[in-house]
Amino acid sequence: MEQSGTSALLQGAVQDLASDVVSALRGGDHVRMSGTGAMDDLEGSFALAAVRVLGADLLLPHVLFPTPPAPEALAVFRRTVEAFPPRADAAPTVKWSHWAMSRTLMRLDTSPVDTSPVDTSPVGAPAGNPTAEPDVAGWLDEATWQVLTHQLAVLAPLAVLGEDCAVARAAQRRPVDVARGFVRAVRRRDWQQAAGAGRWLTLLDGVPETLGLEAGLDFVELMGGSDPRVALQVQAARVMRAAGALV
Amino acid sequence: MTDTRLMHTVGVRALEWLWAHRDGFRLEPDVDPEVGFLERFKPVGELALICRVLFREGVAGSRQAELARKLLDHTWRHTLDGGRMLVRGQRIEPLSPIPFEVYLPYKELGYSEPEVERATVLYHRLESWAALELDPTRRLGLSAFQRRFGLTPRMPEADIVGSTWLARTPEPWTVSGHIAYDVTHTVFHLTDWGEHPDGLPPDIVDYLAMWLPVWIDDWLDLERWDLLGELLVVDACLPRPTLDERAWEGFAAAQQPDGAMPAMRTMPEGEPDEVFDMVYHPTLVAAFASVLATSRALTELTHATS
Repeated sequence: MEQSGTSALLQGAVQDLASDVVSALRGGDHVRMSGTGAMDDLEGSFALAAVRVLGADLLLPHVLFPTPPAPEALAVFRRTVEAFPPRADAAPTVKWSHWAMSRTLMRLDTSPVDTSPVDTSPVGAPAGNPTAEPDVAGWLDEATWQVLTHQLAVLAPLAVLGEDCAVARAAQRRPVDVARGFVRAVRRRDWQQAAGAGRWLTLLDGVPETLGLEAGLDFVELMGGSDPRVALQVQAARVMRAAGALV
Repeated sequence: MTDTRLMHTVGVRALEWLWAHRDGFRLEPDVDPEVGFLERFKPVGELALICRVLFREGVAGSRQAELARKLLDHTWRHTLDGGRMLVRGQRIEPLSPIPFEVYLPYKELGYSEPEVERATVLYHRLESWAALELDPTRRLGLSAFQRRFGLTPRMPEADIVGSTWLARTPEPWTVSGHIAYDVTHTVFHLTDWGEHPDGLPPDIVDYLAMWLPVWIDDWLDLERWDLLGELLVVDACLPRPTLDERAWEGFAAAQQPDGAMPAMRTMPEGEPDEVFDMVYHPTLVAAFASVLATSRALTELTHATS
């Protein structure tokens, strides 16, 4: 199917942001946020949508490294969280990825909530507790290993060293199934899914030795790494593996 | 677990097709020497191997057993001319293992041609036969056949298995179609075509239990029925077969009303002999997978009720 102009523009913005994150993960620098400076013009809306697509990973370098994000990056991130509250009937992945952004915001944004120009009160989370986990659980436990891996890859921003949540616990219960999903994704040359699954596997106990995860992630990067969204997942896995080895 | 009747029916229909198309099992005595007389022996040998599995497992219905017996008689008497074509093959290419490999299952089923046996025993004494440069899976199969024939393999199977792809339990995401066929044949040889599932070393069992479901899922979605059928055989060779329902339903649905199983996607078109050459193998594999899976399902049923 031919990609519409709007969609192509959005994809381009997502790719640019992902490239910035990859650079920051490689260099330990802060995220530059290319293309999100002009918040007031028409492209500003694309920037927000692009940040929403990338999700919590936009600020991942500042979660993994002890460097504060640039104020403008944090401001865009906050505006995005506020601009896209999930509907009550949204898919579990939508609710969880929004929750991941809210959690990241809570952790990195030390400014008072009421300084925001727009209404920031409950950002998609139950009123009174913006960090309460979404009221959707169990769907991953019931999923086949194929669906489980796909959903986890979509929720790869939740795969963060030392971070606990219901999704991470569901992944931890099924390391063999995620490993099978990784193999399936590589066989299908779905590099983005493979990279997301590989990032999760880096954090899980009980991953089969015969999977060859480390070389597998390098292979995914070799084959699909020209897509910055793939490179982001592989680099995130690499940073967390190194950090995990130091713990 | 899959309905046993569904798995069984796949095999019954496959045998019906093979019997109806038995003239496809044909040699070409006047073939161009560049092509080689032995090229057309493979289908006959595979047929005999599968029919032997069918009798061994004892789960074939009377119609299926009758068709298998008639196919063996037909190919032995007509295609192989009572074994004389195997003798001829050995004279044309003395060192080729093919005539011996085709002969063995017939011998195990009671057919006999003493001259093939005399030549086999002689070749077995030759350094040259032991030195043939075969890939590890093929060498494993040849040694297994020599053992079954009553000879002591010059290269023991235990010494060969370590050099197969499967025994090294490599990264499962690197498997391609060619590698997958090496995997299935290593399993066939190590288990004597499903007769001895305990012939698989524990680390290979663990490896296959872990990754076979992914490969089955993948080649099912790719509609590669020939390879899927072989993978379903491997599943039935494991201590705890999955007899995967989705895979078996997809496999059964790919089978044609007349019992033919396309190699991939849908039935090919062409002259009858061309179609036979493209379709006989997946159809034989369907019969093989069917009989082993049915046998395993009935065994599990027995265990469950005892």
